[in-house]
Amino acid sequence: MTATIPPAVTPQAVAPARKFRRRPLTPVNIVQRVLAYTLLVLMVLFCLVPFAWLVLSSVDGNAGPNVQLPALSFENFIRFFTNEGTPMLLVNSLIIGVCGTALNLVLGVAGGYALARFEFPGRRAFMFSILLIRVIPAPATIVALYLIMVNLKLTNTLFGLILVEAVLQLPVTLWLLKGTIASVPVELEEAAWVDGNSRLQALRRIVLPLIGPGLGAAAMLTFMGIWGDFLTPLVMLQSQELYPLSIGLFRAFSDHNHVDWGLLAASAIVYVAPPAVLYMFVRKNLLKSSLGGAVKG
Amino acid sequence: MTSITGSPTRAAAAPQPAPPGRRRPKRTWPFVLLLLGPGAVLIVVFIVVPALYGAYLSFTNTQLTGFAARDPKFVGIDNYTYLLTSADFLASLGQTGQFVLFSAIIGQTVLGMVAAILLSRPWVRGKGLWGAAVLMPMIVPEVVASLTWASVLSNNSEGTLNRLTGLFGADPTSWLQVVPMVSIIIVNIWRGVAFAMIMFQAALEDVPADLIEAARIDGASAIQIFRHITLPLIRGPVFLYLLLTTISTVGVFGLVYFLTQGGPGGATRLAAIYIYERALQFAQIGIGSAASMILLVLVLILGLVYVRLSKVEV
Repeated sequence: MTATIPPAVTPQAVAPARKFRRRPLTPVNIVQRVLAYTLLVLMVLFCLVPFAWLVLSSVDGNAGPNVQLPALSFENFIRFFTNEGTPMLLVNSLIIGVCGTALNLVLGVAGGYALARFEFPGRRAFMFSILLIRVIPAPATIVALYLIMVNLKLTNTLFGLILVEAVLQLPVTLWLLKGTIASVPVELEEAAWVDGNSRLQALRRIVLPLIGPGLGAAAMLTFMGIWGDFLTPLVMLQSQELYPLSIGLFRAFSDHNHVDWGLLAASAIVYVAPPAVLYMFVRKNLLKSSLGGAVKG
Repeated sequence: MTSITGSPTRAAAAPQPAPPGRRRPKRTWPFVLLLLGPGAVLIVVFIVVPALYGAYLSFTNTQLTGFAARDPKFVGIDNYTYLLTSADFLASLGQTGQFVLFSAIIGQTVLGMVAAILLSRPWVRGKGLWGAAVLMPMIVPEVVASLTWASVLSNNSEGTLNRLTGLFGADPTSWLQVVPMVSIIIVNIWRGVAFAMIMFQAALEDVPADLIEAARIDGASAIQIFRHITLPLIRGPVFLYLLLTTISTVGVFGLVYFLTQGGPGGATRLAAIYIYERALQFAQIGIGSAASMILLVLVLILGLVYVRLSKVEV
């Protein structure tokens, strides 16, 4: 996540820039800059223009598949929350996302702790193999996974989907939390053991509060992965009342004859909101905590 | 969870019943099993077993419905010979190849590199804002990404793209019908630029500024500096990125399925969509699994090639 933050201005980097700025810009420099900003503007337009329709139509009382000036109204959102069926999509998505993330984090903290604090045969092999798992594209295993779930009688249940989603994200969480927990000094835990805590008490009282940022990052990645997943719920769920937003949106969109564009756009905005809010929130707090650590350290 | 003495119930299935560890002899392994066991078992059940089971299924004529569903038979390599001689499947592999090559290896990499380099210039203002805008397509769920592009590429004369081309006097075009492959490639580039940018920004930060400065003083042009100094130094991260993006692009399903459902006439039936159609819509699990295995082997080969390339002559 740190990669998205613009590079810190180090003294070495500042010095030449200042010298550079004192000189008047040569024509070549000016052309370079104009070119660079033009490229940037084009790229940002490319990235943002597709969202125009979504935002405009969601607040448009008579929205269609086209970009048009909206007849401003929040009717689409009101309809989303009052319609029969659509609020259920949001509830299902939230259940799957929250429970899946919670399960994933519990398994991840426990496993990450074991991987970080114990030397046991097969530890490196285990770490390496869960890294290798990432090489497998999801569509390549979904068929067999579906059959297994059929045999376990877990298809078409939210519980089954939650279990699968939590586990699919687990390798990444394990790697992330193993690293985070390993960076907590073991002496802090030893002090807690001396004070009469068991290992698990020390884990809860000492380690958990100290790995906040790593835990937040893992939670965000997991939640966004589960929330955005389309293939797994598409394969695993058949009953309409279990659909999450991703499948609900898809079904509403593929219903070619009568697509309710305004409602569709509003649902999409509702669908985007949680990951967007979470992303901003976690990023802000991640920054804060890492800065806080730097100041105290 | 507070008791550590309770015997772990899934001891047998955890990765390896470990002999006593170094630090806390005799007390370590039940604890490791208790903590790591559940996660490891679930990973095995839901990720490893499906991969192996899929390999087994690919040699059978398993069906979801019909006679073969009752009593699947071992059919040897029939599924593979069927697939490798089927024009449909070969076409879908070819489309996957095109899709990966043009959208991930060329499009995302080039645009991401351009964005990373531009944003690494010391004089560019508002880096956070530019970066955040480029990040947007990656943060939104894939269904929403598809939905936005469905409206951009809408065949209606008022669709975003048709309005833009209309400014130049062009007639409205039904983009997803006329140029389906180009459309989904552009959509995937749009979605992946941010990831490339992040990876390359991190790599560029590690290039020592004084090396660049020295080359500049020696009179090297910006392009020469990039070609002979920056690029060799970020070779490792670039190949790592290519590996990651290839894997994830081969796995792209929802983004394309939402927009085209493999159509028109199978023109965008990527391998992932082929597998889904075969196995879960036509219920031919055996053939779908064989297709999965072929895809998996191809990805592994590509991965090995990247790993080799990234090590040679650094």
